[in-house]
Amino acid sequence: MRARITLCVVKISRFLLSLLGRGGSLPGQIGLKLDGQILQKITYPKEIILVTGTNGKTTTTNMVYRLMQKKYKHVICNERGDNLLVGITALFLRNTKLNLHVAADCAVIEVDELNVPHVLKRVPVTKVLINNFFRDQLDRAGEMESVVSKVSQALETFQGDLILNADDPNVVRLADTSKQAHVYFFGVDKNAESKEVSNEASEGKFCFRCNHQLVYAYYQYSHIGHFACPNCGFGNNERYVQASDVNLDAQSFVVENTTFHAPQDALYAIYNATGLIALAKLTDIPFTDVQALLETFELNDGRMETFNIGRKVLLNLVKNPTGANEVMKYIMRDPEDKDIVIVLNDNDQDGTDVSWIWDAHFDLLVDKHTKHIICAGKRAYDMALRLKYEGYEGDLIVSEGMEAAIDELKQLDDHAYVIATYTALQTMRKILRRNEK
Amino acid sequence: MKLNVLWMYHDVMDLYGDRGNMQVLKKRCLDRGIDITIDTCGIGQEKTIKDYDLLFIGGGADREQGLLYDDLVSRKQDIMDAIDAKTFVLLICGGYQFFGQYYIDNNNNQMEGLGIFNYYTASDAKVGRCIGNIEIEATLDGQTINIVGFENHGGQTRGVNHPLGKVIHGHGNEYQGGYEGFYNGQVLGTYMHGPLLPKNPQVADFIITKALAKRYGEVQLAPLDDSLENRAHEVMQKRMAGG
Repeated sequence: MRARITLCVVKISRFLLSLLGRGGSLPGQIGLKLDGQILQKITYPKEIILVTGTNGKTTTTNMVYRLMQKKYKHVICNERGDNLLVGITALFLRNTKLNLHVAADCAVIEVDELNVPHVLKRVPVTKVLINNFFRDQLDRAGEMESVVSKVSQALETFQGDLILNADDPNVVRLADTSKQAHVYFFGVDKNAESKEVSNEASEGKFCFRCNHQLVYAYYQYSHIGHFACPNCGFGNNERYVQASDVNLDAQSFVVENTTFHAPQDALYAIYNATGLIALAKLTDIPFTDVQALLETFELNDGRMETFNIGRKVLLNLVKNPTGANEVMKYIMRDPEDKDIVIVLNDNDQDGTDVSWIWDAHFDLLVDKHTKHIICAGKRAYDMALRLKYEGYEGDLIVSEGMEAAIDELKQLDDHAYVIATYTALQTMRKILRRNEK
Repeated sequence: MKLNVLWMYHDVMDLYGDRGNMQVLKKRCLDRGIDITIDTCGIGQEKTIKDYDLLFIGGGADREQGLLYDDLVSRKQDIMDAIDAKTFVLLICGGYQFFGQYYIDNNNNQMEGLGIFNYYTASDAKVGRCIGNIEIEATLDGQTINIVGFENHGGQTRGVNHPLGKVIHGHGNEYQGGYEGFYNGQVLGTYMHGPLLPKNPQVADFIITKALAKRYGEVQLAPLDDSLENRAHEVMQKRMAGG
């Protein structure tokens, strides 16, 4: 009875909040407050796919969401990235009928790494997809090691399918500790972008089993690459799905003789897509469906999103060194003169510690074609100093407001890029949209 | 003038952007025509520390710190020799903890320190993690300097006879402790990340002066344009003061 009352209150509060133009996770918070056991009292769809990891969660979740619609009639998903327990509670309760059944035949949920234990304890997840673990928001999540061990402990009793990136040692170690799960690895072959050495901030230099230094045949980016422990063989895993013939210029790659289109010309996008293909294979969704999906997929939520303010502006989210490096590499492939706006905030969701900008390779931007860099956000000066000490010699502008930064950008006429941390992203989208022609 | 820096465990103790400190020292030297060389030293690499003017060790993750422990202990005499030879030492977070008596981590594992100084560090589950922006007033050889940064440490460091400075905002060596870091005229240890030096150009120059003193005695550094650095410092100071 209590569960039904809770459900009614949640539904009413959701309705009232929607009148105020609000919503999001708040109904979930109310639900958990009224009945801490509410998630254990509802009946779930038979397929629940959980996506976690540091970078690419929202993009991957949205791709999986669309993929599952090829197989299931009614798929639900927290596609906006409300990935904490309250957000997931809100998603399920929103779709729960008064008979306490979730009205869906499949759920795809993006889950924040630290919330994985809370979710697995309550929700009968059938598949878990993990792409990577990078250094991220040390102030909130603590050292990466503690994040991975929390996820690892939560998976110890997990009995479903575990789909793991075989090229990330921090992800691969989960196979050792998830003894009851069925593990499927995916990876990406060496290609023109692969490197012999890596100078990018990396975690997991040492073998998880025996502490020996890991040896890489090649790196793709950050610490992602073909690694193995020379002492105990950690990392030598059979791949369930392996991408080959990666061609970033043509935005294509091959899995099992089928050519796929990459949603972006970046290696991290190939990994996201390969994880998706592994999931398709595992759920018997034909590759032709995946091909069609990847051909047209666009997230448009501040990830490679374009605006036209008289000229094209490309907006990107950055939140940790690895993500920032990949975005900067992408920008610098443009050989033309360019202007870059960088918005650095330090609110809770951005991470209150901005020292990560010194772990990221802002040296990538130091180039004669980078004409102007405009720094904005609460930590604009930290960003400006980062560039000064990297030896950036173009025009370095500090703008105290985000609106002012775009006004500055409008005065210029080079190729335009905006990168913003989490809490600045939606504001920047609004400002850019307002300035669209 | 030449300045030779040894950056120890650059590839392991590289959390929280501490590498930024090296970039700041480098540019501030080069801009003044000081010929600075930054040499790195990983686990097992042979280096004679006393040949350098400045030794730097940053912070690392618990697991990584544990892995370099044996290597560090084997260099104890070498480090003592360097201190005797007037090499200046800059230590951040984990590096700072190592120079004390011992370190007890979250899981109650005790790791002996180099024991060069009397202070000791223990995680204390009863008090919180010291995390957030921090501002201190330091006295460096009689010079009063305001320093801003970011701290993020679970370890509580006690028994510090010569703290670096008094905490104005934040925690310092201990949760709500009042004092931050360690400074004895030749070794400067601190929990301040951010990294420490970009927003604190006075500290950067102080360290350069101290390191140059080993070979050149008292040196007067040419002034640089620090308007961006000072503004960055001021913005954080104002924020912490709630203004």
